[in-house]
Amino acid sequence: MRAHSSALTRGLALAAGLTLALAACNSNGGGGGGSHKPSSSGLSSCSTQGKANTCNAGATKAGGSFTYTLEKNIQQWLVQDSNGNTFENGEAISVVLPQVYVPQPDFSVQLNTDLVTSATQTSTSPQTIVYKINPKASWNDGTPINADDFIYYWRTNNGKDCPPPPASDSTQTKGCLPQSTAGYDRIKSVTGSDGGKTVTVVLNKPFADWKQLFGAGYPLYPAHVAEKLSGAKVGDAAHMTGTQMTQGWQYFGKTPPSKYATAGPYKLQDWTDNDHATFVPDPKWWGAHKPSLQRLIFKVITDATQEPTALRNNEVQGIYPQPEVDLVNQIKAIPNVTYTIGAGLTWEHFDLNLHNPALGKYLPLRKAIFTAISIKDIMSKTVGQFDPNVKPLGNHNYMPVQSSYQDVVTGTGQGSGDVAKAKQYLTDAKFTGVGTALKTPDGKAVGPFNCRYTTGNQIRQSECQILQSALASLGIKVTIKPIGAADLGTVLTGHQYDIIVFAWVGSPFPGANAQQNWVTGGGGNYGGYSNKEVDKLVNEAVGELDPTKAASLLNQADALMAKDAYVLPLYQKPTFLAVQTRWVNMRDNATNVGPPYNIAEWGLKK
Amino acid sequence: MLAYTVRRLLVSIPVLIASTFVVFLVVVNAGDPVANFAVSRQPAPSKAAVAAFARHIHADQPVAERYWNWITGVLHGDFGPSVQPNLDIGHDLFTRFRVTVTLVAAAMIIALLLAVLFGVFSAIRQYSVADYVITFFGFLFLAMPVFWFAVLLKQAGIWYNQQTGSQFLGTIGEKSPYLEVDTTWNQFTDHVGHLVLPTITLALVSFASWTRYTRASMLEVLGSDYVRLARAKGLRRGRVMTRHALRTALIPLTTVVALDIGIILGGAVVTETIFQWHGMGEMLVQAVTTIDVYRTMAWLLLSAVIVIGLNLIADLLYAVLDPRIRYD
Repeated sequence: MRAHSSALTRGLALAAGLTLALAACNSNGGGGGGSHKPSSSGLSSCSTQGKANTCNAGATKAGGSFTYTLEKNIQQWLVQDSNGNTFENGEAISVVLPQVYVPQPDFSVQLNTDLVTSATQTSTSPQTIVYKINPKASWNDGTPINADDFIYYWRTNNGKDCPPPPASDSTQTKGCLPQSTAGYDRIKSVTGSDGGKTVTVVLNKPFADWKQLFGAGYPLYPAHVAEKLSGAKVGDAAHMTGTQMTQGWQYFGKTPPSKYATAGPYKLQDWTDNDHATFVPDPKWWGAHKPSLQRLIFKVITDATQEPTALRNNEVQGIYPQPEVDLVNQIKAIPNVTYTIGAGLTWEHFDLNLHNPALGKYLPLRKAIFTAISIKDIMSKTVGQFDPNVKPLGNHNYMPVQSSYQDVVTGTGQGSGDVAKAKQYLTDAKFTGVGTALKTPDGKAVGPFNCRYTTGNQIRQSECQILQSALASLGIKVTIKPIGAADLGTVLTGHQYDIIVFAWVGSPFPGANAQQNWVTGGGGNYGGYSNKEVDKLVNEAVGELDPTKAASLLNQADALMAKDAYVLPLYQKPTFLAVQTRWVNMRDNATNVGPPYNIAEWGLKK
Repeated sequence: MLAYTVRRLLVSIPVLIASTFVVFLVVVNAGDPVANFAVSRQPAPSKAAVAAFARHIHADQPVAERYWNWITGVLHGDFGPSVQPNLDIGHDLFTRFRVTVTLVAAAMIIALLLAVLFGVFSAIRQYSVADYVITFFGFLFLAMPVFWFAVLLKQAGIWYNQQTGSQFLGTIGEKSPYLEVDTTWNQFTDHVGHLVLPTITLALVSFASWTRYTRASMLEVLGSDYVRLARAKGLRRGRVMTRHALRTALIPLTTVVALDIGIILGGAVVTETIFQWHGMGEMLVQAVTTIDVYRTMAWLLLSAVIVIGLNLIADLLYAVLDPRIRYD
């Protein structure tokens, strides 16, 4: 980070001796000479059960500049917008804007008491939530955070008060396009009392995931800023027109938060497009944790393979790339760096396209395919090479770390690699040519099927190859067909696959995802799955206010879905956080807020 | 010469239009950015959001209409909408162009100077130890893939920093996000420190091939009658080399350098990715991987203009280097 002028002179002599041979030798040696044992004491305990939220903890001392990597540029600063809803934006914006519940590393959510001292469901009929805003909470221009901010949030996100742009709008900027209206479209009213410091939210229809409202990675934006710039009456978001809200929506999308009032431990000092964001502590921050860093940088590095060298050269101090064998080995060789391989919210799976006549019609065929696949074999030949702790995933909605997790897959025998059992399914269903050239009971050839994966993804290519081998033993021919780097959407929505391997991102609030992915006609239900009982259970779960019952309903639906053999979960995709050991309180958080969920606590080890 | 230049420029216009149309067809049919948008966000965007996205990027229009709107828009400085929200393609293009020009210009100047110097030396000292050494390294650099060489150089840069206890050589970006002591000199050395490794990466491959051309061309000229005559008439060796031999020997190199611009820009794609320079190379990679039609077109248009422009300059330079060439 620093340019030492004297180094230029000193280095001239060394530069003369700098040869490629030396460089090549050096690249094998791990850098700097001497032996370097991997140091992972700080983050190594993060994968231990119960330690996810507390590992790498430590007291901090004032000072230091920490540079963390973002893997994409931020083009849209309104994370509530469908265009701005990216992981990188979620990471950056949560540094400066407040949210009610914050997703934690263990996929639970924690009340942000800096913003609200309490959030209580006071009634179930109608469902009523009361938020008590922290009396000290205010935007850094001195305006108190109050009910008006909640009203503005609700009205811009409910899909009605600020509708989407009309088709006649060629710029598509005259309206609001929230990333999701879930929950907000069920709110009947949001009212303020106690001088705006108590917010009462009444819902028309029950919403189980009410803790998702006004947060969970999608923070509050300052209503008074939108009101001022749109000419609305300040403090009266309840009466803003759609046009006025649109102006605010567009403004927050285009404008880096250095230009308006924020309310976080840090404030954005400078944003250099496509390069970096510089945050400095906000002296107006009222929260319990005062930031100790002198400066926080989010540096855009779009090629993950360049991150280890940047870390080794001390150009960045923390990285959060998708792990691969080479990358993990490179990090292991860097001295004074601690790392953790975590089990993420993103999960790998094989999907069958039920629009394919044979796959759609014959349940025994689907069960046989999934039973012949050995998930253990897949893991040992892919992610198991750098993550010995990876385990098969047994649920389509919950992760093992979540209390509602139930393994609904293992009991079905799917993913076991039991070829004999798979053959038995086919034989019992009167398929012929089992093990040689499979035919349906009515004599039609089964396959050849294609197995599709995103090109360049070596792990998924291997997964397809293992599937190809497993299905060959059933007499099904599989051709492996890569998908262009940007064509996954085309292939999924156009049903251009028979079998596909890709990943979904789970959520601390799985109800909404379940509705999208499993319910008939859902936006993410690309394979055309339909089971009326599953639809009923999932829809009930979304409206069930008792979290235990809601989870039970989702698990019942999931068990049915597992029996239908539509999607075979493989494993949670590993996540990877590496940080220099002189820093503390950074932790892997695979949710949409990422490791910066506790940014105020990051600092130099005392 | 003016008439010739104008004629060449006019001929370039239909070439540009035809090439952009063909490329437009290819890029438009390369994939579906709307479908990509629909699956790239979690939760999946609403149907209204997907429809708005399609309208925003003109995916709801026929291809011919899209091309016409694009080409007429470009004439008015509007490069069309990007799949990236809030991205002004024109501003992005020229910001990145400045970055790439810095890198490519530095690399070309260094490569050219070294190529002429070593090429001439190699020719004068033909079959000497020095000639063999230069030839060896020339072929070595030619044989090395840019991405591999760049990675080696980065390792070497880190080793250098560790040995000097500094962070003079940067491995990512054009400059540091901040300087502890923000003086003009430190800003300058910071820029230089970030320029060194990518410049060497990009320069050495061109240097290798240009050295070979210079050597061959120089050898041919040195063996020609008019050089022997000049020497026989008593002109000093240095004067013969610089005023008579080198000037003539540079003509083929000029052609090669002009033609190599496209290759260097291609090399910049790899170099910028590895060194995380946010230039045109990175822009092309991002545009192609996100099926950003108008952004890809903007890149191709500017690249085509650069290649055509530099080839024209090379043609005009012939007249400067060789007095016998005249354009009417």
